Amino acid sequence: MSFSAATRSALLIAKKDLAIEAKTKDITVATSYFAGLVTVISALSFYMDTSSAAKIAPGVLWVATAFSGLMTVTRSWAREREMNAMRALLMAPISRASIFFGKSLSSIVFLLIIECVLVPLVGLFFHVDISVLPAVAVFVLLGVVGFAFAGTLFGTLSVRSSARDLTLSVVIFPLITPALLGGVAACRELFHGAPLADLQGWGQILLAYDLMMAIAGWLLFDLLVSE
Amino acid sequence: MSLNKVEGRQLVKRFGRTRALAGVNVELRAGEVTIIEGTNGSGKSTLLSLLSLIAKPSSGHLRFDNRKVRASDRSRISVLSHEPMLYADLDASQNIDFFAKLVAAKKERRDSLYERFRIQELDGRPVRSLSRGQKQRVALSRALLSMPALLLLDEPSTGLDEASVELLRDVILEEKERGAVVAVVTHSDSFASEIADQRVRLHRGKRVEA
Repeated sequence: MSFSAATRSALLIAKKDLAIEAKTKDITVATSYFAGLVTVISALSFYMDTSSAAKIAPGVLWVATAFSGLMTVTRSWAREREMNAMRALLMAPISRASIFFGKSLSSIVFLLIIECVLVPLVGLFFHVDISVLPAVAVFVLLGVVGFAFAGTLFGTLSVRSSARDLTLSVVIFPLITPALLGGVAACRELFHGAPLADLQGWGQILLAYDLMMAIAGWLLFDLLVSE
Repeated sequence: MSLNKVEGRQLVKRFGRTRALAGVNVELRAGEVTIIEGTNGSGKSTLLSLLSLIAKPSSGHLRFDNRKVRASDRSRISVLSHEPMLYADLDASQNIDFFAKLVAAKKERRDSLYERFRIQELDGRPVRSLSRGQKQRVALSRALLSMPALLLLDEPSTGLDEASVELLRDVILEEKERGAVVAVVTHSDSFASEIADQRVRLHRGKRVEA
């Protein structure tokens, strides 16, 4: 299959996921609500001054991102599992890699919508200097892309395994550790006033992680979905 | 993209220590309907998974027109099962349009299936809310989009009313007339006897006399 045909199939699959979400809104609305709740409860629990707020904010942001990401990929694969639509997808004359990249792309879009709610909320409740939010968005974007690739790749296990959510949680959290650590550390430095130029190392780690997960998905997805 | 013969030789499929198929030989021919029957757990659905190229045999080989199967052969196969294999939240047209683009079906083909299975009258509601017979109409349209050379049906009549079973039987016979290789897994002896050209009976993963 040619690259352009594979790209077309991937975009078609992502578009289908977005069309389902436009109808149901059950990923973006429910998960944004959850992420917002984590932020508000954390802000109320950790009664804090401006200085301690900056120390807690990165943890809250990335804990909410990690659990929101897990909810997103779990729900996205549940749609493929329901009525066994996944089988029709696997039977289609398209490359398995295009299924992986299509599902990843839609998960990235869902997670970015959720982050559009989460990042300003964290900024508001944890007294974050508004000028650092664009830089935070860069690291969130890098983290979300890696999470979406890893979640989509190992989310296939949730389609085939009877202990779906447990399997996914057990597998995915150790795998996304590099992305989470990079994201937390970079945001910690940003909230303490470090310039973006000083954080290139963390950016490179996140970028390398994204690339590694994309290649892993491209190579391993077929193996994971084959019986 | 026609297919004259599908041949499975000494097909074995293991899941861990369980042997679901234990050396099954089958030959399916174009323009014939082959019924695959047997009790629960006899290996019928596993055999269908191998024929659909979704699963790979642990040993033995599968040949299409006397050559080894390739991944690209997936474009010649379609599966219809008791599960509709559709997106529950999309409506009938959205499902068909999506799969039509995925298999690069011609517009004329899509339109004729819309008409044949009266898809338009099912629109506006998610597939989840349709009756079993209505879901099967949408699933039939999906399965036939690519004009498959090999059509595999896994207990397609389960839970259908009489009119839907009749429609299903007509479709199977039309596909047979068109020259497709058709294999049907079913528990219904009456349904099988109406359409069968050949019967393959499985028992505990082995082929036995039908």
